[in-house]
Amino acid sequence: MSPLHNLPEETLILLLKKKNQQAFSYLYDNYADALYGVVCRIVASTEHAEEVIQDVFVKIWKHVDLFDAEKGRLYTWMINIARNTALDYRKSKGVVNEMKNQPLSNIVNTEEEQDQSQSEQHTKADFIGFRNILDKLKPECRILIEMAYYEGYTQQEIAEQLDVPLGTVKTRTKAAFLQLKQLLKDYR
Amino acid sequence: MDIAAYISSGIIESYVLGLASEEEVSILNCIRKNNVEVEQAIAEAEKALEGLADIQAMAMPAALKQDIWNRLEAENQIVKDDQPDSLPTEEAISDDAVVQPPMLNDEEEPKRIVPARSYGWAIAASLLFLLSAGVNLFFYQQQQDSKATLAKTTAALDSQQATLAVLQDKWSLVQNPAIKTIPLKGVENKPDLHALVFWDQASKAVYLSLEQMPAVPKGKQYQLWAMVDGKPVSAGVFPLNAKEEMASKMLDVAKAQAFAITLEDEGGKDVPTLTELCVMGSI
Repeated sequence: MSPLHNLPEETLILLLKKKNQQAFSYLYDNYADALYGVVCRIVASTEHAEEVIQDVFVKIWKHVDLFDAEKGRLYTWMINIARNTALDYRKSKGVVNEMKNQPLSNIVNTEEEQDQSQSEQHTKADFIGFRNILDKLKPECRILIEMAYYEGYTQQEIAEQLDVPLGTVKTRTKAAFLQLKQLLKDYR
Repeated sequence: MDIAAYISSGIIESYVLGLASEEEVSILNCIRKNNVEVEQAIAEAEKALEGLADIQAMAMPAALKQDIWNRLEAENQIVKDDQPDSLPTEEAISDDAVVQPPMLNDEEEPKRIVPARSYGWAIAASLLFLLSAGVNLFFYQQQQDSKATLAKTTAALDSQQATLAVLQDKWSLVQNPAIKTIPLKGVENKPDLHALVFWDQASKAVYLSLEQMPAVPKGKQYQLWAMVDGKPVSAGVFPLNAKEEMASKMLDVAKAQAFAITLEDEGGKDVPTLTELCVMGSI
């Protein structure tokens, strides 16, 4: 299910700028599932996710000329388009994320309870085989990445919600990435 | 800046997650251009999120590929392989620019280009300003020079006119048949001194012109005396503010056999100080 990524980024950018069917096929075959995974985690229903992922592809397609390789990686750029499109969609539809409605005690809970709440979420979200590598992060790091990455909270909001100083949000973010990198290494 | 501390601060990861503040982002964009380690750390963090996306990938419904392709075609976003490469992009960009995700490059793109351009303009503007300032200074100095020259010329003219007026006055005195001119010559120890008394025989008016007399020391004044029957009678002091060449009107003298000038204290005296006698001349 992982994208193939066997083209170097520069080649992919050149290919995408041609805007032909070959470029589209390559983009779709290699990145669609990953981008769809991001969208699904943000808009919690397949029906909405299918609508959003189409918008994501149209945006990538239209705006690839604006992509600046000096500002980051193409894949990251595409992931951010997927994230932001999904977050905007959720906002516009008034789809309030479950986590934002949950009392804080339900978010910060024991690992056992976490697993339970995660599996409930999976069922609710109607995604079978929803692998969540984030479950393997330390709880305080997992919450932080979920709030920031999938919920679109600002740093300030996270600090307030978790009742920690802004500096702590940063150090936990750093810790979360270190753990994530280790987990990814184990997966490969 | 301590780059190692910056990298371990968590700012880079916050940025990649979209958490960094506007200020933090602008600082980061500045640092990454000049620092390979920071650029590398950003790429690492981005790869971590890419890896996360890989692992959490979900199978797209098969029909969507064709749906999306159809939509791109309907929006005229496809370049057929036999067409030139450039066609559809311009329309595409303006079309949907509003819905740019916040982390897209187009927000920062202008920021990156503008400084380079505006430096060029700034330099050009500075050069023009310097040039303009230089030209202004040049003209300003020229104008100042002209002003100074004009002032000098005017002053010279004024003084010449004054001198002329004085000479005309004296000339008119000399021309006047009623005027008697009495030259006063330096006494024994001051042979170079010389003055002229113009005495109007009709009106009895007396004018004194210091032709060749040293400037008075401070607190002193020349005083004119008329010798009347062996006795000196004051005919007044020569005004301090009067010009040397000028013939100054003194006190009227009805009768005299001679005239003399002494150097007296300012304001003059009732009797002349004979040791201070400068010039004298008999009629």
